[in-house]
Amino acid sequence: MIKPKAFVLCGDGINCDAETIWALNQAGFVPTRVHTSEILETPRKLMTAQLLALPGGFSFGDEIASGKVLALKLKEKLKDVLYDYIERGSLVLGICNGFQVLTQLGLLPNSKPSAPRTVSLTHNNSGKFINKWVELEISPFSSSTFFEGLTTIHLPVRHGEGRLVLDAEASPQTIEQVKKRAVLRYAEDINGSYDRIAALTNERGNVLGLMPHPEAFVRWSQHPAWTLSKFPTRSEKAGLKVTVSPAFGIPHGLSILMNAAKAVR
Amino acid sequence: MTRSTQPSSDYRSPQTTSTAPGVLCIAVLPKAVFDSGKEVVSFQLYWLQGELPQVGSPAELMAETEFGMAVKEVLSDVLIEELWCAQPEHRSDWLESWKRQGFSLFAERQFQPGVTDNLARTVEEALRMKEVMVTVASGTGFLFREGSEKGRQKPDSLVEAGKYTYYHPLTDKFVVHRTDADETKFLTFPAVHLPQPLPPATVSLDLDDDGLIALSQQRLLALNLNEMKAIKGHFLDGQLRTIRAARGLPQWPTDVELEVIAQTWSEHCKHKIFAATIEHVDATKSELQKFMIRSLYKTYIQKPTFDLMNKRQDLLSVFEDNSGVVRWNNEWAVCFKVETHNSPSALEPYGGALTGILGVNRDVLGTGLGAKPIFNTDIFCFAYPSDKLANRPKLLPPKTILDGVRKGVQDGGNKSGIPTVNGAIFFDDAYRGKPLVFCGTGGLLPTTVHKKYGFKKHTMIGDTIVVVGGRVGKDGIHGATFSSESLHEGSPVSAVQIGDPFTQKRVLDFIIEARDRGLITGITDNGAGGLSSSVGEMARITNGATLELDNIPLKYPGLSDYEIVISESQERMTISTRSFAELKRLAERYNVEATSIGSFHTKGNFEITRHGRPVGLLDLEFLHNGCPTLQLQSEWRPPLIEEKWGTVGDYNRALLSLLSRPNICSREQVIRQYDHEVQGSSVIKPLMGPHQQAPCDAAVFRPLYEEDAGLVVSNGICPNLSKYDAYVMAIGAVDEAVRNAVCVGADPSTIVLLDNFCWPDPIQSERNPDGKYKLAQLVRTCEALSDIIYAYGTPLISGKDSMKNDFDDGVVRLSVPPTLLVSAMGRIPQAENALSMDFKSCGDLIYILCAGGLALAGTEYAAMQEWESTMIPKIDLKRARDMYYKLHETMMRGWVKSCHDVSEGGVAVALGESIIGSGLGAEIELSALQQAALAYSPSHVGSNAQLLNGEDFALFAEGPARLIITVPPELKQEWENLWIGYSCTLIGEVVQTEALLVKTADGGELMNASYTDMVAAWKTPLPFD
Repeated sequence: MIKPKAFVLCGDGINCDAETIWALNQAGFVPTRVHTSEILETPRKLMTAQLLALPGGFSFGDEIASGKVLALKLKEKLKDVLYDYIERGSLVLGICNGFQVLTQLGLLPNSKPSAPRTVSLTHNNSGKFINKWVELEISPFSSSTFFEGLTTIHLPVRHGEGRLVLDAEASPQTIEQVKKRAVLRYAEDINGSYDRIAALTNERGNVLGLMPHPEAFVRWSQHPAWTLSKFPTRSEKAGLKVTVSPAFGIPHGLSILMNAAKAVR
Repeated sequence: MTRSTQPSSDYRSPQTTSTAPGVLCIAVLPKAVFDSGKEVVSFQLYWLQGELPQVGSPAELMAETEFGMAVKEVLSDVLIEELWCAQPEHRSDWLESWKRQGFSLFAERQFQPGVTDNLARTVEEALRMKEVMVTVASGTGFLFREGSEKGRQKPDSLVEAGKYTYYHPLTDKFVVHRTDADETKFLTFPAVHLPQPLPPATVSLDLDDDGLIALSQQRLLALNLNEMKAIKGHFLDGQLRTIRAARGLPQWPTDVELEVIAQTWSEHCKHKIFAATIEHVDATKSELQKFMIRSLYKTYIQKPTFDLMNKRQDLLSVFEDNSGVVRWNNEWAVCFKVETHNSPSALEPYGGALTGILGVNRDVLGTGLGAKPIFNTDIFCFAYPSDKLANRPKLLPPKTILDGVRKGVQDGGNKSGIPTVNGAIFFDDAYRGKPLVFCGTGGLLPTTVHKKYGFKKHTMIGDTIVVVGGRVGKDGIHGATFSSESLHEGSPVSAVQIGDPFTQKRVLDFIIEARDRGLITGITDNGAGGLSSSVGEMARITNGATLELDNIPLKYPGLSDYEIVISESQERMTISTRSFAELKRLAERYNVEATSIGSFHTKGNFEITRHGRPVGLLDLEFLHNGCPTLQLQSEWRPPLIEEKWGTVGDYNRALLSLLSRPNICSREQVIRQYDHEVQGSSVIKPLMGPHQQAPCDAAVFRPLYEEDAGLVVSNGICPNLSKYDAYVMAIGAVDEAVRNAVCVGADPSTIVLLDNFCWPDPIQSERNPDGKYKLAQLVRTCEALSDIIYAYGTPLISGKDSMKNDFDDGVVRLSVPPTLLVSAMGRIPQAENALSMDFKSCGDLIYILCAGGLALAGTEYAAMQEWESTMIPKIDLKRARDMYYKLHETMMRGWVKSCHDVSEGGVAVALGESIIGSGLGAEIELSALQQAALAYSPSHVGSNAQLLNGEDFALFAEGPARLIITVPPELKQEWENLWIGYSCTLIGEVVQTEALLVKTADGGELMNASYTDMVAAWKTPLPFD
């Protein structure tokens, strides 16, 4: 079986490229690290990959607004190719800062060239960066291939600007669309995000932007409660429950990436 | 009102619009911000300077030109913000509008000229993408609502009251305008204006002793008379005079040369106190003991490690590079370095801490042929904000220091993509004068790069010297001896540095790639002393270097040659290469500036040229070995401390109070703001367990994704014991670091340590009458380090000392307590054997395992009760070592379910934390607890008998080498047999009831603290924003 190819963007302050490459590799992709300068020199090269990952990090130091300047940089030379790429059905995965870039590019929740930008990701209500594992609910109406077979998952969030906001003058149709394409919601409000939205997908489900980090949960020992799992006699309590050992299934982040690999194989 | 509107479609094309130089001011306000009812509204301000299209009003400019549309797209998010635009001096109509919105005052903050403005640099780069070429400055606008507390103030009083809240006077300009003012002076573009720099001057040393001292002070050289005389003697040499004359140099040094010598010989670079000859007097016994120490460093730090190296084949590079390097496997090595940035953090906490963390990142990046930073640590010593603290005009408010430092470390780590995996915060009022900010970084580097050792430098004759990264400005010139008199309008701020994590991240990515392509033969960072240190140091490899000043990229014109050489501008690395052209091409791809600035040779000197002619020519031997050794005296007399203690009845309340104390309570609010998981390798995080609130003793993570082995990182620090005996303090710090590492599963035979000393000035003087005592404390600390390192077999691989942690404004002198931070790094063969400290299952047996005696001196409990005890903790070093080795074996066998070290707050707090972490409970027998508490107690109980037998002693006393361990009940017999001959006491078991219950022999309850109460107490917030 030929493994699908993935491009993982790096440079300009992106900083989760290494673990994203490792995670995609575990999920069955053949990932390649591609510097922003390189992809802008030869944008059409993108067409040779089945998945483009925009990893987390602090592109351009998060100055002006998170994801903004990288989006500006990609916009001029890459956006047209990106439309073709998305139209073709290939996958785009924007994680954290990558999600912010996708919203700045106006590719979510609608990735048609004519679609106006309708959402922004801005400062958390608390005004603070937060690194914490959260429980996430997968929308039952989700058509996204990324979440097949999953209902509730745990992933870490690590962001200061993860609050999804809508255009103040957004029409009811726009609001409806955003809600429909919100594939992930925080089980509890953590940043003031509109409708507890943690992720958005596009009309076709092949572009996914999410604030939590799937690449950070590809083995059970990354989960904050994994040390409990070694001792299964413990009675269940409230809080993040883990069920480890192979019998407990695939770590949730890895599941998401494996679904992606399955979709483009 | 000049407000931009939606761009019309028929804007004029730029070709038809003429341009003229000008400045534009832009405000970006959140939509509907005035409706929020907030008393203070803040928003972003920008000043744009350059060729602006000439199209009438600014509103038209924004709406009708490509320039305006580009600016609008770059600076604002139309979904959530609106953009206002005006010429800076014509903003009265803004005021008018804001007045109508109910605001009485408008304040604008702007960086002082020359202060690093990261936002502005990014805006410039973004605008360049849209082909708009302007220079940018960023700032903040504040609006204060009429009638509110601030809005009622006069502009002048708001400037005073707003200090440190809205601006920092060292780095910012801050001007307040009344919105009803007819005329007011707005801030305009903060350009740097410097006079034409003077050519290098000759500095005559033909001076008497007083003259030499005066010169040292006047030029901020920080050299003493002996050192000045040594320099004078050097330049009096006849042969040297001939050589210099032949190269067109004067007999006496140029200012460039004198500054280079002063930097190289500074305490910071040369560690003169650790190299000094010390006459040490020990007055512990009735007859005085006196002996000479020739270099504390060589005697107590270097020697034990060198002696241990026979047994430790994994030590690849110790004490010689920018960090210590240890073998990880055949292909990879790990390195670790911890630095302090105390004085800069006292002046400007955010910039100080940010440059601290970025600086130590560069130490790692500059190790061997370049290591990739894989973790950060941060340890802070602060004064807890309160009314009790000293308040001097030159001291920043304590909370300002806390918040600034925390934010600096957050931005430095998060924006660089380096996880902050381990840390500590220690509060003591004695840190009021100087906060201690320890920043550590570990890295990963290949053992071989293109068939050469990756952990060594291979600079050769003829290699090009390349500087990469940031540009040179006046930043950090003589930073330590900053004097505010020299500041004037338009002069760049030299003492304060703000880091640029984004530029450094680009440099980091570039260097790793360049290393792997074999383009780097040597690399070091530019920290203290700038190029004078980095090139001067690397010159020793080939025995010579020439530094050409002509091409060094500058932030702004007007720097004199000596300033270029010693500037400490950040984000720069110095590289030696044989393939500059290829290196430069790669740098361009990574958007990094790389400049050739000279070459290495073998002439035995460090030459500095301008237009091909030398402006400095220093003999390397003299530069690096010519500094005279300090001669110092120390005198140790045990301190006299009066005993004072009483009794307490309510142990529940005592426990809850302890849990809420600043040195014990949860660090969650700080930890959550650091990205501690980036790079995806974490195994044991700072907070674990089902509620993510189990405070773990050390970090475990996988340096290599594909490998099972885990790296363990921990720290130990106990300055609370310094006032009793610095020897005990040092033993405590090392033991704590090792103990913490062992707790999570580190193999003790793999542990390596780093030492970081932060001392009050230990040189006796008029202003420092107890200098000899402070030096004696240093001697005792070093003796302890040496003793415990031999006993534990844990070598020191790197370290640093900071010896002047005093605040002295001529009236008040505030000195930090002698503080030693010990950082540890170890290995766990299988990362998934790592342990967290939370209890795991009901029925598990709880043991106290120890090899040291408890005491009350320096404990949190004694501090809380305002008690004093001179009984200091004891430890059996040999026993402790064996205990850690044996414990590790049982852990790897899977016998241990949780392990937690007993530290601040004693056994009760440690048990409480394991309960908080798990949501389970513990039932403890008081009699067993008391039995464990008497292990290793002093033999001469005497007057201490009452104290030792007290229940509170068993609950709250502290001491080294003590652990709380849970074991499944089915292993009871095997476990206890294993520990025959050790102090291992069964004290109780884990239970379902969510509480800490301590039962007396008669079945009564001495303590019954509920989980809920303990969590609430422990989560008492620290005074961070």
